[in-house]
Amino acid sequence: MNAPGLPKSFERDRSELPNPLPRPEGEFEGLKKAWEPPKGISFITAVNNTYVGLWYVGTAFLFFILAGILALIMRAQLASPESDLVGHDLYNQLFTMHGTVMMFLFAVPAVEAASVYLLPNMQAARDLPFPRLSAYAFWAYFVGGLVFFCTIFFGLAPNGGWFMYPPLTSTKYSPADNADWWLLGIGFIEISAIAGAIEIIVGVMKTRAVGMSLDKLPVYSWAMLVFAAMIVIGFPAIILGTLLLELERAFDWPFFIAERGGDPLLWQHLFWFFGHPEVYIIFLPATGMVSMIVPAMAQTPLVGYRLVVLALIATGFLSFGLWVHHMFATGLPKMSLSFFSAASTAVAVPSGIQVFAWIATIASGRMKLTTPSLFVIGFLFIFTLGGLTGVMVAMAPFDWQAHDSYFVVAHLHYVLIGGMVFPLFAAFYYWVPVASKRALSERLGRWVFGLMFLGVNVTFLPMHITGLIGMPRRVYTYPVGMGWDALNLVSTVGAFMIAIGVAIFLVDMARNFRFAGEDNAGNVWNAGTLEWLPNGNYATRSIPSVNSREPLWDQPDLAKNVEDGRYYLPGTATGGREALVTSPFDARPQYILQIPGPGWQPVLSAVFTAAFFLLLTVKLIFLSVICGVLAVGCVIWWLWETDPGPVRPPADIGGGVVVPVYVTGPMNHSWWAMIVLMIVSGMVFTCLIFSYLFLWLVNPMAWPPQETVLPSVAWPLAAAFLYVVSAALILWASRVLKGDDRRAPRSVPILIGVALVLVSGASAVDLWAQWRSGLSPSAHAYGAAVYAILSLQIFFVLTTLVMGLYTIARWVAGRLDSVRRTTFDNTMLFWIYTTGQGLVGLLVVYGFPRLGGGV
Amino acid sequence: MAGRRTLQVLVMLGGLIAWALQFTLIYGVTSTLCGRGWADKTLFGGGVVPVTILLSTLAALAIGAAMLLLSLKEYRSLQHGTASAVDTFMNQAAILISGLSLVVIIWHGVPALILPACA
Repeated sequence: MNAPGLPKSFERDRSELPNPLPRPEGEFEGLKKAWEPPKGISFITAVNNTYVGLWYVGTAFLFFILAGILALIMRAQLASPESDLVGHDLYNQLFTMHGTVMMFLFAVPAVEAASVYLLPNMQAARDLPFPRLSAYAFWAYFVGGLVFFCTIFFGLAPNGGWFMYPPLTSTKYSPADNADWWLLGIGFIEISAIAGAIEIIVGVMKTRAVGMSLDKLPVYSWAMLVFAAMIVIGFPAIILGTLLLELERAFDWPFFIAERGGDPLLWQHLFWFFGHPEVYIIFLPATGMVSMIVPAMAQTPLVGYRLVVLALIATGFLSFGLWVHHMFATGLPKMSLSFFSAASTAVAVPSGIQVFAWIATIASGRMKLTTPSLFVIGFLFIFTLGGLTGVMVAMAPFDWQAHDSYFVVAHLHYVLIGGMVFPLFAAFYYWVPVASKRALSERLGRWVFGLMFLGVNVTFLPMHITGLIGMPRRVYTYPVGMGWDALNLVSTVGAFMIAIGVAIFLVDMARNFRFAGEDNAGNVWNAGTLEWLPNGNYATRSIPSVNSREPLWDQPDLAKNVEDGRYYLPGTATGGREALVTSPFDARPQYILQIPGPGWQPVLSAVFTAAFFLLLTVKLIFLSVICGVLAVGCVIWWLWETDPGPVRPPADIGGGVVVPVYVTGPMNHSWWAMIVLMIVSGMVFTCLIFSYLFLWLVNPMAWPPQETVLPSVAWPLAAAFLYVVSAALILWASRVLKGDDRRAPRSVPILIGVALVLVSGASAVDLWAQWRSGLSPSAHAYGAAVYAILSLQIFFVLTTLVMGLYTIARWVAGRLDSVRRTTFDNTMLFWIYTTGQGLVGLLVVYGFPRLGGGV
Repeated sequence: MAGRRTLQVLVMLGGLIAWALQFTLIYGVTSTLCGRGWADKTLFGGGVVPVTILLSTLAALAIGAAMLLLSLKEYRSLQHGTASAVDTFMNQAAILISGLSLVVIIWHGVPALILPACA
């Protein structure tokens, strides 16, 4: 079912208000009732972005404090030479956990969390399109993150550095469970990040205020869109890397063991393909925040909007060409290094564009020196210094001198604290009035800024010198007389200054933050964007139509008219929670999205997901499997209530605009989410094929090893045939299911069932072919790579199996027909992807060695 | 409409996509040829590595330049019509991104003129 075309009046009467006054009795009450949060213990089942967003931000900040405490212990240890406050083993755990928690449990979740709260408000959407997915992402992160952090109290915390290089982290040198906690513990946090990224992409593209076309999209939304796209491209590399290293540790598949054809450098490639973009993944949302704060503080629109958008997109691309600059000291050819050196310097251009845009905005307006402004100025100063040392270490010859020294520690902290922490604090002081009844204290805020700004410079500026005079990073102590004593003491004093600043911030929050339902502090900065509209759990009373990037400045009475319900969808059309879905480019109303409300399903599925990974770490396999099955069960229970179908005829949302309450196909939001999920899956698979080819490259004349017997080509041909026929049957079922008459033909479940048998058979044939050839996954990296491709494919086939059976179950329950077919469409998309991946996998595994792989 | 929008996005990102392809190709080729010891082979009378880098760079430049020219042509036509704000925005973004891409692509091709292939 497609959305009807908009009436011509929509174009003609944009300046007129869509809904008249007075509003019907009970309309507003109905809206409030639909969005009421659950009470009592069920409160934790809330899925509103206003609740989940705040919990998420709070948890991320908790991890910031915890990781900060670890840093203080390290600085106390290093304050004087030959100190024995902590031993080397604990110190190893401290710096590993500090880096890991800051990067994985604070930085990425914090910016994602802030967007869960801010994006719907900024785009005047009632919520993000998949609120239960946000809740799932939060609870998985909350439970798993806390358990992961607690390992430090038991001496079980990972100790191989936050980038976990093998062979140090391989079984031979790290036989205990510490490394497994990192590998499996981080695994589900990555899943949580990807879930959030899918939510953000679909949210930015599909749920905006009417008329908020791409040219009027807030810079923050652009930043979050690029951020989420980068997660989709970058995170699969680390997911695959952790998977391969865990497979090596658990089953002795030698991906990184040089004696058996593996290569530790493979890990570095996979890690840094994620790890360097990660810096920009953290930085870009922060720049988005700054681009919102600066215009409000200067009371003038952002200078160079188009250039800033260009800078965000260009940074997103270029940041993927930088990863080897972390590997300059590994002996790669100079030509190869030069490509990454070039990208490392080129990426400074878009960053510079943004910095100049902010300076120009400040210059063109009258900047009020509030606490958010101070943090922005601090960010400009500290980040620019970090950027300059970044250009220095982008030069391979300089990097060889500074590599693994405290110079690098200074550089990365200037970039990350300057580029992310300061903007985040600016954001706290700027946006707290949206979520709280009171703004934070300006007086305390200046103390927080002063202590943090001085503290950061006192801590990290001396470290440049400490590094250049030879102090390596990650040493737990140092001897007297190296010239490092005074510098380290100064750094320690600075670290405690930062801590005092953060402590005052906590006092400020305790004194002034009071959660606001419908009575927030209001537009205290006279900002121009939509998050400052009056709002409640339902977001804004009606969905505004906007004509500019700062509608509150350019459209008089917008706030009042929105609050009076004079814009679109002032009530609820279906009686439940809804969002207005708009077209991705022009933001024209397309359909009403029925949003699921609170429920235990996301909470329980998140807890069981976390338990699955964590129990696997401590080798409680049986319990782990039970939790995994329960997690899948809870997800199915959760999904069962979704895909409600057209529960009523198309509804008038105001101004003569009539939109359906249910659509399928490419316009549907879940179709978009599936496409993004397929890109994530495709990236995991691409990284795996890269790993296969990389291992081929380091194994001349041994691909496959001499004793290997390649299976006959009949096997892959049979498997390919089965894959293709199964996909064809699904496409046939899709054809049978077409039509507007709500038919549910009996042939649909039969076709799906037969296709399930065929797709399962395809992967079974593939597995059998390798198994009977006697190929072992642990004898050589070749076998490990082949079985890794096969295992990934089996995982996808099993997922297809679950989805196929679920789709059949919906048909049986009368929840699937030719109109209500979103579930089928999702299954079909995934099926086609699995087929494509299977075919490419067969081509690589069976074809490449024959096509000259062994040359 | 959807097809036109897809085309607009492709033109807008075309320069950066061309850079990504150039980057993947030159790094992949250099690593493979050096790693396998095939770098002393020749192509069109020159060393296989620098010639590949040069050709990749020229191809990427051609794509980036084509995007820029298309965008500039579109820009001129938009001046005379009643283009929507989105069309104007996409067009101007395409001009800026294509222009930046050309610089970045050249920047990545330069090492082939200076450095030995596999040292």
